[in-house]
Amino acid sequence: MADEVELRESMRGFFRGEKPGFFQQNQHLKYIAPAMAVMVLLSVVPTLFTIIIAFTNYRLGWEFDRARIVWFGNFHRLFSGGDPDFWHSVWISVLFMVLATAIELALGFFIASLLNSTEFPLKPVVIGILIIPLAMTPSIAAQMWKLMLNAEYGIVNYLLQSLFDLKIIWLSKDLAFWSVLLVDVWQFTPFVALIIYAGLRSLPSEPYESAAIDGASRLQLLRYVTLPMLRKLVYLCLLMRAIDSLKLFDTAFVLTQGGPGNATEFLSLHVFRLANAQNGLIGRAAAVALVLLVIVGVISQILIKQQRKGEC
Amino acid sequence: MSREDGCGKIVSWARGILIALISLAFLFPFLCMLLVSLRSRVDAIQPERIFTAPLTLDNYRLAIGGDLGSYFVNSVAVALFTTLASLILGSLAAYGFARYQWEKREDRAFWILSQKFLPAMAVVIPYFLMASLFNLLDTRVLLVICYTAFNIPFTIWMMRGFIEDLPAELEEAAFMDGCTRLQTIRRIVLPLVLPGMTATAIFCVINSWNEFVFANFLTSIHAKTVPTSVMMYLSISGVKWGEMAATGVLAVLPVFAFAIGVQKYMIRGLTFGAVKG
Repeated sequence: MADEVELRESMRGFFRGEKPGFFQQNQHLKYIAPAMAVMVLLSVVPTLFTIIIAFTNYRLGWEFDRARIVWFGNFHRLFSGGDPDFWHSVWISVLFMVLATAIELALGFFIASLLNSTEFPLKPVVIGILIIPLAMTPSIAAQMWKLMLNAEYGIVNYLLQSLFDLKIIWLSKDLAFWSVLLVDVWQFTPFVALIIYAGLRSLPSEPYESAAIDGASRLQLLRYVTLPMLRKLVYLCLLMRAIDSLKLFDTAFVLTQGGPGNATEFLSLHVFRLANAQNGLIGRAAAVALVLLVIVGVISQILIKQQRKGEC
Repeated sequence: MSREDGCGKIVSWARGILIALISLAFLFPFLCMLLVSLRSRVDAIQPERIFTAPLTLDNYRLAIGGDLGSYFVNSVAVALFTTLASLILGSLAAYGFARYQWEKREDRAFWILSQKFLPAMAVVIPYFLMASLFNLLDTRVLLVICYTAFNIPFTIWMMRGFIEDLPAELEEAAFMDGCTRLQTIRRIVLPLVLPGMTATAIFCVINSWNEFVFANFLTSIHAKTVPTSVMMYLSISGVKWGEMAATGVLAVLPVFAFAIGVQKYMIRGLTFGAVKG
């Protein structure tokens, strides 16, 4: 009985955020420990494994004891230009991340404001349409785009030809990168639009009223009222889109297989090309994967820090 | 006055047209997929006939009749068990994060969030090697394990928001009335958090339903899921566009239906901590 009373008291203390004693302090452990354990086992251990492999010359199909530690050999080859495709991959991956994120955020914000600025009965239909690209399986959607963008019998060129007499070879060496970008923008702009739209809907109206009294222009409203209030949300979209576009694999893999040549060989596709059954250079692939991991880690840490700024 | 009205009308018309155009642009690929899925093999690659060619359901018949049936079974099984595992583990952890204070709580929470950004490509190699050590390659269990690992961070993050939204007084009251902690969770927290949990579950389902990297590299024959079907349709005699499109339509329908059903909670769940703060 006395125990129960004590327990109740301590629990009320918890809910009020009072400083708990030692044993109670670790009560959260029984809730978070299982998930933490699974994550350590399934994300941290494989990551460590990748790091170890990256320092060896392991190849697909070898017994593990045949692998030799080559220390920084794999990285030296990457950074010294022994793998000429590597820097190209880094460059187009980063370029793709910047462009995709910027376009998707700008366009998404624009669509969200457009939807927020007016009320009409068909709005749920428009929202439904925006959900479709998000719901479509990326690999299958990319395959569909491959048909649509086909130079000879794709519908996009058919429309362009009949409307403007244009014929564009979408998946050529020069344009393949932009085609992948187009597909990514199509698929993930709605994601940004829906989130920002939800954010816009939740904003209070008072700041706008007082800004209107002060005679603020629309641009000023956006700059000084809307954006500061949506700051965290915008960072969230930025974070998700930046990292996801950096990791991009399925769309490019299905649409172009990294080609023509290495025109769309993003980092994750480079990992795949080194590691696939024909090459089997697991050690070198792991080194590239590690570089990708570091880039993703650095960018996500910077953005998370920015997003958390101003939190107490 | 009337002039101003005219201006307003023009603006609202322009807005309407713009919204219609944007909707059409985003709908277009799906529309194409739907149309191609209903065409014969020859008509599929004749864009000038895309609206006029005769309709057929052959593609659906062929797609389901082929290997696709088993792909769907695999996808459903993997999505189901992944969702179940991530929800149980993730919601428990989310409860811990939402209801207890401890020193490094926020750091832990952000560590978990950062795990969400782990590139699949960076860990697929060790997964492959470890799976071949344990003879797990090409099994559904392996996919469930991978997907659970990748869904837990997301589940914790979303569920934490939904749980924090509930007033703690409710639980306190139940506790005062003599409920144990477990009863409190089961009778008070669970029913209240159910809509949010459903939305989270649907996100888990979508994530594993559409996942490609692990599915493609860790399976070969028995455990292939729907997204990897694109590789099957790349036959030497040309892509079977119609069947592929039919597969795409079949794959998107359940996801779309789910997503529409809980869209309100889905968006709210995604924006937690970002709108309130």
